[in-house]
Amino acid sequence: MDKHMNQASPATSSGSTRALRLVGPALWILGLLIPQLLSPAWITIGGIFAIYSIVALSQDIVLGRAGMYDMGHAVYFGIGAYTSAILSLYFNWPILWTIPVAIVLAAALGAILSAPIVKLRGDYLLVVTIGFNAIFVLAMQNNLFGMTGGADGLFGISGPTLFGHMFGTQSDLFYMNWVVLAVVLWLMGNLDRSSLGRTFRYIKHDELAATTLGVNARNYKVAAFALSAGLAGLAGTLFAMQLSAVSPGSFRFTDSVVLFAIVLVGGQASVPGVLLGTAMMFVVPQIFTEFAQYRYLAFGVAMILVMILRPQGIWPARKGVI
Amino acid sequence: MNTAVSQQSEAEVLLELDGIGISFGGLRAVDDLSFKVRRGEIVGLIGPNGAGKTTVFNMITGVYRPTDGHIRWHGRDITGLAPHRVAEAGIRRTFQTIRLFQDMTVLENVIAGQHLRMRQSWWQGLLNTPAQRREERELIERAMTVLQQLDLADVAHEIATSLPYGAQRRVEMARTLVAEPELIILDEPAAGLNEQESAGLNETIRAIRDAGITVILVEHDMSVVMNVTDNIVVINFGKKIAEGKPAEIRSNPLVIEAYLGQDDDEDDPLMNAVQDQVNV
Repeated sequence: MDKHMNQASPATSSGSTRALRLVGPALWILGLLIPQLLSPAWITIGGIFAIYSIVALSQDIVLGRAGMYDMGHAVYFGIGAYTSAILSLYFNWPILWTIPVAIVLAAALGAILSAPIVKLRGDYLLVVTIGFNAIFVLAMQNNLFGMTGGADGLFGISGPTLFGHMFGTQSDLFYMNWVVLAVVLWLMGNLDRSSLGRTFRYIKHDELAATTLGVNARNYKVAAFALSAGLAGLAGTLFAMQLSAVSPGSFRFTDSVVLFAIVLVGGQASVPGVLLGTAMMFVVPQIFTEFAQYRYLAFGVAMILVMILRPQGIWPARKGVI
Repeated sequence: MNTAVSQQSEAEVLLELDGIGISFGGLRAVDDLSFKVRRGEIVGLIGPNGAGKTTVFNMITGVYRPTDGHIRWHGRDITGLAPHRVAEAGIRRTFQTIRLFQDMTVLENVIAGQHLRMRQSWWQGLLNTPAQRREERELIERAMTVLQQLDLADVAHEIATSLPYGAQRRVEMARTLVAEPELIILDEPAAGLNEQESAGLNETIRAIRDAGITVILVEHDMSVVMNVTDNIVVINFGKKIAEGKPAEIRSNPLVIEAYLGQDDDEDDPLMNAVQDQVNV
């Protein structure tokens, strides 16, 4: 199994990093062969890996780049999934049309929920976001607006139809997720090289210094939440298509914890690090299916070891982009 | 130099502190402090340790909101504005304890100073549009110009916090200068510098003024203060005790008492420095 790593274009011009720059796209292209080479189970795993990579990358915008302890990120993932499921099942929208709505709704919710709390210090913000997650799961379980299907959730969501072709099979969905992942990776690389991404990092490293340079820290923190939530919302739609079902069980507090841990263990603000972390969490356990129930044990031990031995993460972010 | 000094009295008042004061709990950190800064001046703010100098800076730059009094900028009341609003008005500062963005290059740190010039919108950044790329090149170019002036061009791609102390001070200064502010506030820029570096600092501060930027300076190093400032404000226990030209301050009995009154503290380098200046 390849590691699906993708390198966010290094700026230093040394030969080794230039080589690394090619490794990411090469691995991505290699990944395209999965449906031809591997068993159906692996095709599904590959598709889900792509989806969770997008969610983890979106978590990393708030956590690794802007430096805010968001421990309720599964909420935005869930909002995207439920939005697409509801629009497609109750209102018969083609699932592709639900994508912009899922993104915008998740982003708007991210902005609205974060606006009053971004002033809070790290640990306080963390507790508030746990509260968001608890409320979200409860609302979904209690069949909000009579549309969320309660504890069982919603099922029967069909895949998209594009150019008359119905994306029904697992390999169709895999290709779709894989392409969306590539787009997201491209966006993340651009983010890191843009004023927006830099400003997030300025705030993370020294908010006071940033504000004395004219940065409206509050607005940028809300923007980080909105951007990150919108991306998670996109992943939510993919998730609804992949499983053709959504239920509260996929967006619990523990799922947020896993996303949080992926970023910390993989490497904050590091695209390859987050992809590695996601692979560790969702792909490696599949290799040892008979020990699947121990994956949290393994991940727990890995977390402990990484934080002690390599607190900056397995693949730390490159220091300095330009 | 002399003509410059005589012109200053007629120059436009840029910043005016009017009876500002602040209390922390029961402690009156700054009390009824007033002074004016005219365009093109280098004003020194001095006083013994704990006199409230940095607190004054924090009030001007919006980090603290004064409990009394007003701060006027071009005659407009800016008391209690948020720090980013004060920055928008054209006031920039450095910090007593250097505050560079760690894990970021010198260039990225200096580009931060151009934040308010940034025109690229969030989606242009995400999509890496040609307009955004053009702006990024301009930001780098402008930052490099300032880095060249401060003799930092060859470390532009180094991690800022890995540089020697004196260079870090200059990076922080570059970060404020790249914004082309009207007023720059330097909080102990000579702290931690060796003799050679602080001699260079004098030149840098004068160069900043000659570029048309007004300077307020908190500094313990009297060789810097006495050599570069046009006007000095002395505070002690949060109150202004003297104001005037360096020569006047040097011979002001109140100032000498404030600094030299602490007879038992003969190791205080500040006191010794003042004494040296007094003896000249």
